Amino acid sequence: MLYRRAGIRHTSYRHERMLWPLPFDRYLVGTIAAFLIVAPFLIDRLYLVAYLLPWLIWSMAALGLNLLMGGAGQIHLGYGAVMAIGAYSSVHLVRAGVPFEIAMIAGGLASAMIGVIFGFAALRVKTLYLAMSTLAMQYIVDFVIAHVPAISGGTQATIQVPPVRFLGLRIEGDIATYYFALAVCTVVTLFMLNVHRTGFGRALAAVREKDYAAEVIGVSTFKYKLLAFWTSSFIGGVVGAVLVVCYLRSVSPDQFHIDLSVQIVAMVIVGGLGSVLGSFFGAALILFTPIVLNNLVASIAAGAGLSLSSDLRAHIPLMLYGALIVGFLVLEPLGLAKIYDNVRNYFLVWPFRYARK
Amino acid sequence: MNVDRRTFIASTAATMLTGTTVTTWAQDRIVKIGMPMDFTRVYTFVTAEYAQGHRDYLTLINDRGGAGGYKILADITDHGNDIPRAIEAYERMKREGAVLIDPLSTPVARALVPRALEDKINMVTTLSGRSDAADGEAFPYVMPLSPNYWTQAGLLIDYFRQQDKDLRGKKIVLVHIDTPFGKEPIPIFQALAGKLGYSLQTFPYAPPGNDQAAIWPQVRRAQPDWIIFWGAGVGQTVALSEAVRNGLKMDRISSSVWLSESDMDVVGKDACKGVIKFEAAAGGRDPKVIQQILSEVVGKGKGAGQEAKVGTSYYNIGVMMAAIAAEGVRKAAEKAPNGPVTGPWLNAGIRSISDFTAEGMLPGITVTSQDHQGGGKGRIARWDGAKFAPQTDWFTANQDLVWSEIKKYSEEFKKSGK
Repeated sequence: MLYRRAGIRHTSYRHERMLWPLPFDRYLVGTIAAFLIVAPFLIDRLYLVAYLLPWLIWSMAALGLNLLMGGAGQIHLGYGAVMAIGAYSSVHLVRAGVPFEIAMIAGGLASAMIGVIFGFAALRVKTLYLAMSTLAMQYIVDFVIAHVPAISGGTQATIQVPPVRFLGLRIEGDIATYYFALAVCTVVTLFMLNVHRTGFGRALAAVREKDYAAEVIGVSTFKYKLLAFWTSSFIGGVVGAVLVVCYLRSVSPDQFHIDLSVQIVAMVIVGGLGSVLGSFFGAALILFTPIVLNNLVASIAAGAGLSLSSDLRAHIPLMLYGALIVGFLVLEPLGLAKIYDNVRNYFLVWPFRYARK
Repeated sequence: MNVDRRTFIASTAATMLTGTTVTTWAQDRIVKIGMPMDFTRVYTFVTAEYAQGHRDYLTLINDRGGAGGYKILADITDHGNDIPRAIEAYERMKREGAVLIDPLSTPVARALVPRALEDKINMVTTLSGRSDAADGEAFPYVMPLSPNYWTQAGLLIDYFRQQDKDLRGKKIVLVHIDTPFGKEPIPIFQALAGKLGYSLQTFPYAPPGNDQAAIWPQVRRAQPDWIIFWGAGVGQTVALSEAVRNGLKMDRISSSVWLSESDMDVVGKDACKGVIKFEAAAGGRDPKVIQQILSEVVGKGKGAGQEAKVGTSYYNIGVMMAAIAAEGVRKAAEKAPNGPVTGPWLNAGIRSISDFTAEGMLPGITVTSQDHQGGGKGRIARWDGAKFAPQTDWFTANQDLVWSEIKKYSEEFKKSGK
C-alpha cells in the first residue's frame, strides 16, 4: 500500500537506473532531507549540537569504513587513526595559513597515503590477521602523534582549531557547522549510494566475494584492494577534519584512540555491512543509546523517588545497552538496515501477502 | 524504598508524561552545577568516591540552608570518558541552567575548554585537565582550583631536598605512563635537576600500565635515591606492586596525588608501608568537616554511598571541591545577593575566594583573576600501614618555575584558535 509499485514503467535506461524507483521512497528521502535542512530552525539547540551534528559526522565515518568492510570485505580496526591523520594534517595546515578547502582535501590525501601503506598488509593477509595488522596501525599512529611534539602540540597535547572559512563562509557557531557537516555528509552519502553501480564498486564486490576468483575474471586484486583502502582512508581523513572543525574544536590524541575505531566498526556491523542506510542507523544506535538510556534511568529514578548510588545509576544503562546490542544482532544478524528492509518488504505487498513470491 | 512492578511502571509512565525534568526545589534560590563524570570506563572507583564526597558535602550545606542563601543542586551523570556523551551532557546541563561543570576527566576537560570559554560556564578541572589553565587571564572560566601536576612535581622535589638537605649528585627516577599526561611533569623535573644538581632518569611504560614487569628491574638496577611514579588508575596500583616485588625501599618511593587507600588494599597495606604521596586536602576522618558529615549526613542515613568510604583520599577531594564551589557561591551571593545566577556571577564569586581552609581541611586557598590554581599549596603524606600520615605542614615551592611553564603554554593557547 505504502510502497506502491503499480504504474511504474521504465521508458529509458536512465529512468530504470534511478536510485529510488518507488515514489514512496523518494518522498521519504525528500522529507528527511527537508527536515535536515530546516532542522536548525525547528528543533531545540541541544538536539542540534549534541545529537544531529555528531550523528552526521559519525555516520560519515561509518560510511567510509563501510566502503572498505561492506564493499571490499576488508576489516579495519584502525579507522580512528585514519581520522586522526586527517584531523591533525588539516588543522596543522590551517594553522600554517592554508585555506580550509585545501587543508581538508589535503587531510584526506594524507590519510589516504598512510592508509594505503597499511593497506598493503591486506594483499597478503585476510580476516583476523588483517584485523591485527590494522590494529597495529592504530597503535603506531597513536604513538607517533603522542611522541612528536610538533604534531601533538607539546606538553598539553591539545591544539585549538583556528576559525576557518569554507568558500568564504565562516564555519563557527551552531548553525554554520551543522550545515557544513550536512553538506559533506550529503556528498559522501551520494558517493556511497552510487559507488555500487560503478565498475569500481563491482570490482570491489568481486574482491569481497573471493579475491582469487576476481583475479581469474580479470579484476586486479592488487589494484582494487589498495584502491579500497585509499578511498576509504580518504573519506576517513576528510571526516576527521570535519569532526575537529565542526564538533570538537580542539584536537588531542585521546580523541582518536582505539575506542573510536571500535565504535565505528560497531556502527558498521550493527547497522549492516555494505548498507548506506545501515551506517546511519548504526551511528545513531551506538552514539545515542548510552545517552538516552542514561537520561531515562535518571528520570525514572528521580520520578520514582529512588535514591540510587551514582555508581549503580551509571552502570544500569550500560547493562541495558549491552543487552540491546546483543538483542538486535540476535533478532537480525544482518543489521538494523535489514530490519528496516524486512518492514519495507512487508509493506511492499501489504495487504496482499500472498503476492510475495 | 521497596519498588514493586506497579510503582515502577506507574512512575515510568509518569516521568514519560512529565518529560525529563529532574527534581526541582520550590524555592528559586538555587545554583545548579553539572557533574558529568566517568563512572564506567577509566576513572571508575576514583569517580565514585569523589562524587560521594561531593554529594555528602552538598547535603550538609543544603540542610543547613545553603551557601549564602542559595541551595546547590548537583546533577551527576556518567559520560564514560566518551567525548560525544560528555558534550551532550554538557549541552543539556547548560540548557538546564548549570553554571558550573565538573567533568573530572582530562580528555573531556580538554575537549570542553573551547565551549566553556565561549559559553561563560565555569568548568572545574580538579587535579586534571590542562595545567596551564591555572592562568586565569588566558582561561577565565576554567578552574583547576587545585595544585596542578607541575606544582605537585615541584613540591615532591622540594620535599626530597628537605629530607636529604642537598640533592647534588643524587639520582631521581621517574616512572611514568607514556602519554601526554605522564610526560607533563618532565620539564619541571629537568629544570630542577639543573638547579639542584641531581640527575634524572625517566622510565616510560605503555598505557594503560597493567604490565610494568620489564620496567621495574631496570629501576632497581639504576639504584636511585628517590623514585617517583606518575600515572592514573590501574597503572598506579601495578607500579606500586612491582616496586614491592623488586624490593625497593618504600620510604624512597613517591607518587602524585593519585594514590589512595584503595590502591593500598590491593597491593597490601603492610607491604607498602612508607610510601609517599602528594596531598591536596587532608585525608582521613579527623578534619572537622568530615566529622560534621559523619554526624549530620551519614549518621542520619542521608549518605550518598558506603560509610566505609568516608574519609578516604578521593572522598575528601570530593568534599574539598564541593566546599570550594560552595564558598564560591557564598562569595558570589555576598557580591550580588539577588543574582541572577549565571556563569559570570559565580565566576566573580570563585575568583574572590581568599584563604579558604574549609575549617582546617585545606591549605588556605586563594583564587584570584590571575591565579586559578588557588595558591599551589599542598603537603606530603606517608602511608603508615593504616592511613596516610602528613609529613609536612601545608607548603608551596618552586612556584616561579611552575608559573613560567604555565605562562609559556597559556601564551601559546592565547595565540592559537584565533
